[in-house]
Amino acid sequence: MSQAKSPPTIVRQQLALDAYLQTLLDEVPEADESLPDPIVIEKSIAVVAEAISKPQQKLAVAEISPVVVAKPTLKSRRSTLVAPENPAKLQALSVMPDWAQYEFQALFFKVDQLILATPLIELSRTIKIDRKPSKIPGQPSWFLGLLDEHDCRIGVLDTCQLIFGKARGQQLNAEDHPAKRILITQDKKWGLVCDEILSIGKVKPDGVRWRTARQKKPWLIGTVIDELTAIIDVKQLVPHRKSS
Amino acid sequence: MSEDKKQGDPIMQWVTFCLGDEKYGINVMQVQEVLRITEIAPVPGAPSYVLGIINLRGNVVTVIDTRNRFGLPSKDTDDASRVVIIETDRHIIGILVDSVAEVVEMRASEIETAPNVGNEESSKYIQGVTSRDNKLLILVDLNKFLSDDEKAELDMF
Repeated sequence: MSQAKSPPTIVRQQLALDAYLQTLLDEVPEADESLPDPIVIEKSIAVVAEAISKPQQKLAVAEISPVVVAKPTLKSRRSTLVAPENPAKLQALSVMPDWAQYEFQALFFKVDQLILATPLIELSRTIKIDRKPSKIPGQPSWFLGLLDEHDCRIGVLDTCQLIFGKARGQQLNAEDHPAKRILITQDKKWGLVCDEILSIGKVKPDGVRWRTARQKKPWLIGTVIDELTAIIDVKQLVPHRKSS
Repeated sequence: MSEDKKQGDPIMQWVTFCLGDEKYGINVMQVQEVLRITEIAPVPGAPSYVLGIINLRGNVVTVIDTRNRFGLPSKDTDDASRVVIIETDRHIIGILVDSVAEVVEMRASEIETAPNVGNEESSKYIQGVTSRDNKLLILVDLNKFLSDDEKAELDMF
């Protein structure tokens, strides 16, 4: 009996994850062409929580996010989960960064109320914000300026704007809500401001719901399933310098 | 540094000025004089970056609101405010700054290109950056400070 109930649970979890990921992609309108879409993470979590707390309401998830069940890609995603040895999935994972192929250490940090994770290997260090970056005229608002740190000149980026979009990012980064720390990328060219560094934890690839199709939001590479924490591919989030 | 390297790495002088928390540098060869703040007569219909005009010994000189140009919030002028008279492509203009600091010397090799993450147009007048006294100095290319169309428009005031 319990064996008979097991598959629907997996399907519900899958639907909940799909709803979560789809919400990340669909629910906020494009704010700025140059920026990734904003994320309404709280709503995603609410949708997921509702789906999990009401096991008999498999259809309820569909009602909350009818687009998700209507998408033809859902079926293939579900079948991928049921049959993990599917060659198609292995092929898709081959385009992932190297660190995503094995267990990796991730840094969990907070931007506004959102907890995010990024692999430690993409970072060189973190620093406290003890002075304002030098603002360069004519740059986008998400480029907060340059900061000389030891021998490096770091371009400081407003993570909030990059992730949530311009409107919400600027609102959250008002003078009364200053970011406290900067995550410095491995190449020491960029710094991502964040409110708080929470912890370092190990993440196994099979504990992650990977986004193998990342035409939109290429920096959102997956979600830690247990904690529903978005994993950020920092290399895809930072801009490519047009000159050096 | 060897003599050969010095010859290929000329020393340049820069007049530095402050706007807000940042310090900027402009080529000393393009600076004609530095004036204390004087009466600036507004020009009707002028673009937002034009503060107005001044009479400089019988010549009408347009004064640019540098804060506006750099996307900084406006600020009332005070005793430290200065109008720097510059020459750019045969145009004489004034730029209003919070204060003028000093003249510094630096080699061309000390100047690094600033990362340009926006569109090319918006920050084309940023020539580069360098560190000075543990602070970043942003170097401005006055020849690109205004576009040709903008310079032509200033001639009509």
